Amino acid sequence: MGRVPRNGVAAARRSTEVIKAICRAEFTMLLRDRRTIVVSIVLPLFITPLLMFGSRWVQERRERRLATMDVRYAVTGSAHELAHDLIARAAAADTAGLLLLQTATSDPAQSLAEGELDLFVEALSPGEAWRDTTERDEISRGDTAAVPTLILHFREDRDTSERGARMLRRHFDELRRAHRVEMLESRGLAEMIGFGVVERHDLAGARQVAGLHIGRYLVLFVMLFMLSGGSVVAVDTLAGEKERGTLETLLTTAASRADIVAAKHLVILAVALIIAVIQSLNFLAYVALKLIPLPQGFVLDVPPEVTALIFVLLIPLAALVSGVLLLTSGYARSYKEAQLYFFPVLLIGIVPAVAPFLPGLSLRSAAVLVPIANIALAIKEVLVGRYDWPFIVAAWAVTAAAAWYVRRLAERVLSTERLIVPTVGESGQRSGEAVFTRRVLPAFAIMWAVFFIFASNVEGRMDLRIELLVNLVVIFFGGSLLLIRMHRLSARRVFAFRPVRAWVWPLVAIGAPAGLLAAAGVFRLASLVLPVPKEMLEAFGKGLMPEEIPFWQLVLFIAVLPGVFEELTFRGTLLYGLRKSLHPVPLVLVVGAVFGLFHVALFRIVPTAFIGIVLSGVTLLTGSVFPAMLWHALNNGLSIALGHFELDLAELTTLHYAGAALILLAVFAALWRIRTPYPELRTSRE
Amino acid sequence: MSEITVEARGLTKMFYDESRGEVRAVDGIDFQCRSGEIFGLLGANGAGKTTTLRMLATILKPTSGSATVMGREVGEEPEQVRRSLGFYSSSTALYPRLTARETIEFFARVNGYAPDEVPGRVRELVARFGIEEYADARVEKLSQGMKQKVSIARTVAHDPPVLIFDEPTVGLDVLNALDMQRVIGEFRTQGKTIIFSTHIMSEAERLCDRIAIIHGGALLACDTLEGLRTATGKRYLEDIFVYFATDREDGT
Repeated sequence: MGRVPRNGVAAARRSTEVIKAICRAEFTMLLRDRRTIVVSIVLPLFITPLLMFGSRWVQERRERRLATMDVRYAVTGSAHELAHDLIARAAAADTAGLLLLQTATSDPAQSLAEGELDLFVEALSPGEAWRDTTERDEISRGDTAAVPTLILHFREDRDTSERGARMLRRHFDELRRAHRVEMLESRGLAEMIGFGVVERHDLAGARQVAGLHIGRYLVLFVMLFMLSGGSVVAVDTLAGEKERGTLETLLTTAASRADIVAAKHLVILAVALIIAVIQSLNFLAYVALKLIPLPQGFVLDVPPEVTALIFVLLIPLAALVSGVLLLTSGYARSYKEAQLYFFPVLLIGIVPAVAPFLPGLSLRSAAVLVPIANIALAIKEVLVGRYDWPFIVAAWAVTAAAAWYVRRLAERVLSTERLIVPTVGESGQRSGEAVFTRRVLPAFAIMWAVFFIFASNVEGRMDLRIELLVNLVVIFFGGSLLLIRMHRLSARRVFAFRPVRAWVWPLVAIGAPAGLLAAAGVFRLASLVLPVPKEMLEAFGKGLMPEEIPFWQLVLFIAVLPGVFEELTFRGTLLYGLRKSLHPVPLVLVVGAVFGLFHVALFRIVPTAFIGIVLSGVTLLTGSVFPAMLWHALNNGLSIALGHFELDLAELTTLHYAGAALILLAVFAALWRIRTPYPELRTSRE
Repeated sequence: MSEITVEARGLTKMFYDESRGEVRAVDGIDFQCRSGEIFGLLGANGAGKTTTLRMLATILKPTSGSATVMGREVGEEPEQVRRSLGFYSSSTALYPRLTARETIEFFARVNGYAPDEVPGRVRELVARFGIEEYADARVEKLSQGMKQKVSIARTVAHDPPVLIFDEPTVGLDVLNALDMQRVIGEFRTQGKTIIFSTHIMSEAERLCDRIAIIHGGALLACDTLEGLRTATGKRYLEDIFVYFATDREDGT
């Protein structure tokens, strides 16, 4: 067998042959799948226009019915003659065909409540007091002292009532305005009218107005068509192949992963585009047949060159959409799993497509860097006749790059063994230490969400002591215990309850104040990037140390308990869970960062993450959680003492911070010399 | 002496299993296969046979060690390696909505068979495996025996020098299993290298020129049936297998 060149024309020709063969087979199989064709193409051809036609028919029928309905009304109050006169004039002026029918009643409010009346007008003479009622439409509230007042009583939950009240309100306003103008003119005060009738003069042409409307919706609709149509073939193309066992057959052929992905991407892209084009033509056909009427004055006139440009802009969008569908299908291990993923993908996918609806957002902004949103904005601008070429090209390139990247990810999926070979990495076991290692970070994400929701809802409304107890004991410690129990682990091992060398304790006593000072330096550094107002810091300090709580309780709740429970949670459970997944340096960084994220106030994240890193390092070097507990409690205790004596570490100089950092390094060097390493750490050889 | 077509050197595969942690599915195995030979991988379920064959077929990457097929490294030239081999497994399936003829044509093309020679090759295979009657029927309509013939035809569609048969008779009735063994024997006479994995002792006894006994991911012995008999003093392959497997478990 001759050697086939890996590069050059022969390799390209071979790739083309492979891609052609896969595409042809995919299309053959798709066309033979009648159910898919019917569900994805034929049905939508009828359903979409039928839905639009049906909704319009229902709307029109409703309008007709409402127009011919009688509005039963009554008039009460001392100024009833005025009200009758105005209602008669309103009825005469109205062109909607609503018939006003006066109905006799002794208690209009009761009649309205029981449905015997649709509305009643309460007419008050000048100076008369407002009646206490909860359902009224206020007219000229400011005029009550000098002129009669009309109050419209109606019910918005009834179509006839709401419609009648709206009609009367409109006419009353009109009549009042006309009356004012008439009065001013009759007294020779026409100049007091202010200005004449405001006329609208739209400088945008009908084509541009239509372009704006089309531009807003076009990408959204195209995305919906492509996502719904493309998902039908995407789900079969990789997830379906895995389920049938044909993917493994294909992967044992000489076809490269890149060629397989390219072919399947092309198939999804073609199907998604075909379905989008069919649906669009179908829509236009219904418009042409006047089965779907366009709004009055709407000019659907897009020149061929603009149509061509829009098509060019849609190509990277279609490539990205089909790439995401392919990636999703590749990630799923079965047909059912893929279907499960497609719904959120559809929801998330259409979010950037609504960019043209956002007021004031133009392509010439950071939005040009957001795939899909940039194409949607570019198309809208092109349709209204704005051609910002550099940004149009940039939008095209950004979305095309995103499509290319997604395709590379899909290629990687085809090399991910656990996704392509069903038995690799599979196990029926749902608990145990190995499972815990994989699930500890998601578990902490859930814990964070619970903590965040609790903190956001009770902050300032609950006694600080109770809030801290819930956080520390229920959420942190309870969550940790739950994980330990679920995975049948030894609490002693997870929490690192191990004895430590005697020399560790004085080192902790020296290290804790140095660490606190160094953390203050880190905070000052972080403030250069993210400045924090002094008032915010003061408010936070007061919130954390309320004056009504005795000092000993502050020490207990803010120093001792966090020292114990936060250490059990972060340097105990989290560190134990990640010890085999990460090398020691990333391990302390990740545990520190997670610890920082749990201190949700943005300005606290960096310094607390720093302390978290320090405490993780102490735990790794001593093999025990106890030194970190003492260090943490001392750190928090010193903070309370500083607050109590109104000392501010932020006012120190760089020299102080540098000195503290040096002491901290010296303490770590000493801990390193007498280290008792944390067991079962991932070594550099692995 | 016929040429060495497949060679594994210290081939190792480790998996991460949720229940067991790191698992050595294949533990540093070495073997060589030659053209015109049926090389049997004999082992119980879970012994590491399929993992070994998947590494040779480049579906899985070795954790350490290496392997060559027709002189090409599996890790360096995966596409060239796959072009030189046909992979048949009871877990690999056919496209249900393609016809038998389309299936053979498809696999000939994606495996790089010269495009203008594909129609002739398809006709030849259809005739050779006696599938003319149902060549234009969709695979989903075929019986198990018919599907088996189409599967073999698609495996050899590009006429590869090395054929891998991973537990090919699993799920087949006696007649179809015997037919499969006959076809494999024919491939040997054509000078192809056949790597044949099975857990059925009688199959290995009947078909294989050399047998490698694999257990717990390790290759415990590799020789002709006669050689294994001499080494162990046992006559039946079943006893020979138990001899090596027990030794391994006893740690001797």
